[in-house]
Amino acid sequence: MVERIEDLNLPNAVIARLIKDALPDGSNVSKEARVAIAKAASVFVIFITSSSTALAHKQNHRTITAKDILQTLNELDFESFVPSLTQDLEAYRKMVKDKKESKANSKKDISTGDATASSSSAAAAAAADNEDANK
Amino acid sequence: MIDNGKTQQQLQQQLPLSRVRTIMKSSMDTGLITNEVLFLMTRCTELFVQHFAREAYTASLSKRSGETLKYEHLSQLVNKNKYLEFLLQIVPEKIRVSEFLEMLRLNRSSASDEDYETGTESEMEDE
Repeated sequence: MVERIEDLNLPNAVIARLIKDALPDGSNVSKEARVAIAKAASVFVIFITSSSTALAHKQNHRTITAKDILQTLNELDFESFVPSLTQDLEAYRKMVKDKKESKANSKKDISTGDATASSSSAAAAAAADNEDANK
Repeated sequence: MIDNGKTQQQLQQQLPLSRVRTIMKSSMDTGLITNEVLFLMTRCTELFVQHFAREAYTASLSKRSGETLKYEHLSQLVNKNKYLEFLLQIVPEKIRVSEFLEMLRLNRSSASDEDYETGTESEMEDE
């Protein structure tokens, strides 16, 4: 939960770096402008979140999905963000998948994994046969 | 593999996920926030910060480098663009009287730029 209002601020240093990367070399940002951008970013998060939530609720979903967010961005005229975000999302999903796989692989040897899989499917087939026979 | 390392670096978000989650929770009649949604929102916010700064800079200072992005550049951008309407209460709220007057002046002159493109010069001379 939010205990202090400052908990809703985004870290100054990161915001400053992001802005610097976006502007031409050698340009400056006044402190007031930086604070305003940071505030705007917080409000942006709330704005997009609540719009996405409304969209999810309209479809009788309780939790928002990535799709809801992308659709919301399109509807709110931030469609220029969507292509790059879609790419990032794909890369993120791939990364998560890779992580999961490498975790699974490190837990058990690949060959034994295959063996168990094939033996268990054999067992399942046998069980199915048994069921058929019982009928 | 090299490719993989690259994408991982690109995926490294700079804003803290936990903070973004806190902000999201403050707004929703809170459902679950999946990691994927949190990641997407964080990236999205980073894009927004850069987009907002870049737009304000180029709108007021064109592409000249070495200029300072100031508060009034931001508020001008917000006032002019419908899609930034949600920031109207946020950005003007922070300004001081002197800045407000400056902004008014800038807004007036830029508004007359649009309204009477040819008349601006003589008008300014009158004043």
